Amino acid sequence: MKQARIAVFLLLVAGACTSYSHTEKAGTQLAFGTNVAKKGLWREAAFRYEQAVTKEPNNARAHNNLAVALEANGDFARALAEYKRALELDPNNNYIRRNYARFAEFYTSYTKTTGKAAGAP
Amino acid sequence: MSRRAVALAVAAAILFATPAWAGVDQVHLRLPLKPKLPLRGNERIALAPFILVTEADKARDKRLANVDLQAEFHRFLKKQLEKKTKFEVIETPADVKLPTQNLTELAKAQEFWASVGASTTAEIIVSGSLEFKIEDRSGYKSEEYVSPIDGRTYYRQVYVEQTGFLFDIVFLVLDGRTGEKLLQDEFKDFRQASKRSVDELQGLFENLFSLENQILNTFVARDREAERYIFTD
Repeated sequence: MKQARIAVFLLLVAGACTSYSHTEKAGTQLAFGTNVAKKGLWREAAFRYEQAVTKEPNNARAHNNLAVALEANGDFARALAEYKRALELDPNNNYIRRNYARFAEFYTSYTKTTGKAAGAP
Repeated sequence: MSRRAVALAVAAAILFATPAWAGVDQVHLRLPLKPKLPLRGNERIALAPFILVTEADKARDKRLANVDLQAEFHRFLKKQLEKKTKFEVIETPADVKLPTQNLTELAKAQEFWASVGASTTAEIIVSGSLEFKIEDRSGYKSEEYVSPIDGRTYYRQVYVEQTGFLFDIVFLVLDGRTGEKLLQDEFKDFRQASKRSVDELQGLFENLFSLENQILNTFVARDREAERYIFTD
């Protein structure tokens, strides 16, 4: 009986650990980031997307979202790098391609008139 | 296959198909554009005369004679700066004449600009060059049409008349104390109307309104609207 109780306790602890790691998953961060991004909280969204990228460095969707958030915060030089990484990871994704094309159009005219990228060293 | 196996297969299909269905949302961004000049925001700005590149064309195109480009542009710029910035806008005295009609030399006329700055007490002086052109374009163009008789697609030649308005502004921003050039920038806009005899002043202001954001961005932060896609999971 005592062994059964210990087994149940260990199972509960393991379950708690599993659910904790679940909230730390890239997908969760991505979903949370998108939720706040839709409310216009782009700094918080960028932080969440950074977390998602750290968890899953090869997740093209996370890189794309991070690029959008950086763009919204005016960090265009980093946004460019993130768009490029997203496209590198998923070159056939039409949404990423469209985002990148629109950003590239904006960024080209922006750097042309300012002489250098904002946020660039 | 048992019911349980079918249920498991459906559950597995949903689970594994999710990444392919990954949700996408379109979001609306307002991209922050930093001002091109690092200013405090409350400087005294003097609007000096601009070189008029179109003077020679006036004799050829009578419609340009109706447009006082210098006055219209000054009025527009003064109004925009007063309305959308906190600068103190000063008009230079009417007797201030540009020392040259060459833009490169004008940018280098440091002594002249320093004297304008001293007489107007302006910290920043704006000058440059203005070019406004009306371009009529007419000719035949081929277009597709579907015949109502046999329903087939044919090509036909149609005569098209268009009027285009070209506005090219070169901005020179100068330091009122030293007369040094702080920035030189060019703004260009071309508008096309699908008929002839469109009013020239109307064309001029259409050009100016489309350049408004870019012009103001020289001095103050502006934003630009954009649409992007984000993934929801």
